[in-house]
Amino acid sequence: MASCTIHTAPYSCSISRPAAKAFSLGFHQRHQQLIFFGSGRRSAVVCSAEKTVVIGLAADSGCGKSTFMRRLTSVFGGAAEPPRGGNPDSNTLISDTTTVICLDDYHSLDRTGRKEKGVTALDPRANDFDLMYEQVKAIKDGVAVEKPIYNHVTGLLDPPELIKPPKILVIEGLHPMYDSRVRDLLDFSIYLDISNEVKFAWKIQRDMAERGHSLESIKASIEARKPDFDAYIDPQKQYADAVIEVLPTQLIPDDDEGKVLRVRLIMKEGVKRFAPIYLFDEGSTISWIPCGRKLTCSYPGIKFFYGPETYFSNEVSVVEMDGKFDRLDELIYVESHLSNLSTKFYGEVTQQMLKHSDFPGSNNGTGLFQTIVGLKIRDLYEQIVAERAAASAAAAKV
Amino acid sequence: MAATSFPGAVKGLVSAKARLSEPLRGGSRSLLVLYPRRGGMALVASATPLELSEKVAESIKNAEETCAGDAASGECAAAWDEVEELSAAASHARDKLKANSDPLDNYCNDNPETDECRTYDD
Repeated sequence: MASCTIHTAPYSCSISRPAAKAFSLGFHQRHQQLIFFGSGRRSAVVCSAEKTVVIGLAADSGCGKSTFMRRLTSVFGGAAEPPRGGNPDSNTLISDTTTVICLDDYHSLDRTGRKEKGVTALDPRANDFDLMYEQVKAIKDGVAVEKPIYNHVTGLLDPPELIKPPKILVIEGLHPMYDSRVRDLLDFSIYLDISNEVKFAWKIQRDMAERGHSLESIKASIEARKPDFDAYIDPQKQYADAVIEVLPTQLIPDDDEGKVLRVRLIMKEGVKRFAPIYLFDEGSTISWIPCGRKLTCSYPGIKFFYGPETYFSNEVSVVEMDGKFDRLDELIYVESHLSNLSTKFYGEVTQQMLKHSDFPGSNNGTGLFQTIVGLKIRDLYEQIVAERAAASAAAAKV
Repeated sequence: MAATSFPGAVKGLVSAKARLSEPLRGGSRSLLVLYPRRGGMALVASATPLELSEKVAESIKNAEETCAGDAASGECAAAWDEVEELSAAASHARDKLKANSDPLDNYCNDNPETDECRTYDD
């Protein structure tokens, strides 16, 4: 694992005086720094420090352990684990390339504080956006930070842990796009939008095993949080580069189990380094049922839709899947007809889905689109790295 | 999660409880809970750590009390938010316990190419 130097001052580039000898500094592990000293000539310093790529993920389902995170880190390779030797209740996950930070760690009020003030965790008053901005900016610039830990078990703010700048930083939580300064730091942002019916069905599955919970308490909990959710969390949708919307299926009338889902991947047009995926013909509207003569599917089948739309006054492209996969060949069939997937080889999406076939959503659009978004992020990261390499090579020629 | 109902089998219960309440790896206990069910009592092994499970139940009671007074207040919302937070924590704890149960599985997930972990599909 790459090491990192801790800079006490903000990392900056400066022009230095010409030295007597000419030498060049090699690449310092992950921080690329090209400094050329010309003898007798005007010195030129090019600081192309490898800034961390920052991804924002807005989700209501708690932090760091969510399926989306695990799929994302898997695309980059390696399993993400909590930092070894640290606080066992840490929310952070670290893999070779990626570090996932839970934004709950930036709560300014702990559980007791929120109870006293009568404020939910969704309320911006319970979160320290200044600290969030400061630390994400520092990590992005290559400076390690001491990030607080919010302990979900005790509800207290624990002593901070050291976060070293990784190649890719993912900030996951309720408010990654709420503060405009933090929003500007994000290289890519995703919003996971679960509809109320599906949320209810999932929470029932999660909580009914819990002693003390009943249908009424689950319902009351969702209802009580709804006003704050609609006021503070939901509006972040409009800023996201990609929204994964999870809705009840339209294939089964009155389905309330949430087992078959209709999932829409809403991709903003014109986002730098992000080419939306499409079906058959980019920019057109397609309705596609893959089940037929070549592919046999079991009930309720699979239905796809692709088309351009407007989403909160943004131009977007939407790919939608309703139904579920039963067999491997359905998956590979679907993958072979989607374009712009940013896969490195044919069948990569299918392979990733199979690798995690025990994860929830592996047989429907949630797993499929989460995997695809993961590949898109990998592509974005590689484009950034290539741009930097080209920039420093060009500057070196000067 | 195993659920068996044996009407009135209190004696069997005591011995089963003694066996099952050994601390699991990780220091959390499997809690045997008696639920009244149609036809007798049902024994359910809840995999949530004891203290978390109790916290969830407590927070639900607290939320119901707080909201009985004023359902639209901030306190009511904060109380149910706490329930949600604890339920999520309990669910994560359950998953963690499940995930950590087999050391070979854990090792092979990280190192599928080693000899111990290779699988052969004929």
